[in-house]
Amino acid sequence: MPGSRSMRLVESALRCYPRRWRSRHGDEAAEIASLLIRGGTPARSVAWSYLMGAARTRLVTGPRRRLGAAAGALLLAAGSLGVSLALLSSPAPANAANVTHSRTAHPRPADLRPADPRHGGSRPADPRYEGGRGAPHRCDRHDHC
Amino acid sequence: MADPKRDGIGGPDVLRRAGDASVLILTSLADGSKHGYALIQDIKGFAGLQLGPGTLYGALDRLERMGLIEALPAEDRRQPYRITAAGAVALRAHLDSIERVTSVGRLRLGLGEI
Repeated sequence: MPGSRSMRLVESALRCYPRRWRSRHGDEAAEIASLLIRGGTPARSVAWSYLMGAARTRLVTGPRRRLGAAAGALLLAAGSLGVSLALLSSPAPANAANVTHSRTAHPRPADLRPADPRHGGSRPADPRYEGGRGAPHRCDRHDHC
Repeated sequence: MADPKRDGIGGPDVLRRAGDASVLILTSLADGSKHGYALIQDIKGFAGLQLGPGTLYGALDRLERMGLIEALPAEDRRQPYRITAAGAVALRAHLDSIERVTSVGRLRLGLGEI
């Protein structure tokens, strides 16, 4: 019988397998390890082989869990995309975005026109034109807006 | 759809991506049932390489899932396996495929047909 230290190493590697695998192959796997070590195969090599095998087994035998995670990620991505599309397609934020855009660092030629005196100059402080939350997206006082 | 050029006459080569260990195990089981340690020793004898036990069990599980081998009733702690009819067909198709590649390789190296 190989040394107890060698077998402890192998048994530690075997414990990495799923319980179902161990109940089916565990005894035989320990016996094979014992025979291989007795035949001159280094215990480290046997343990490493079992460790890699355990990793592969866990990757292969957990498809439901992986499918669940993938489905969850897809739902999350689809949800995020849906919310983004809804925000982009709704008229209020779109107009608000235009107003905000026209007041920011990249003015379009139309924004370079002199301010309409009827609006009282450049109207920077008027919350209706800030495009922020709660600002009306259309000037309801003047028809030209 | 089976491609006769790729898959050969014996049917589709399902072992194409199954890995060398699977082919070695099926070849070993082709002449009778064996358990894990006997498989390792037999493969070492005819192929000159020792399969790691983790690799062996991974390949056995895969082949069993594919229906190419089946487990026989356990003898003491040892679990013997045998090749199924589907396994024999798959092995033959794979060997045909390897043989074609071998022939072309030898021909192109100027070694002629075997």
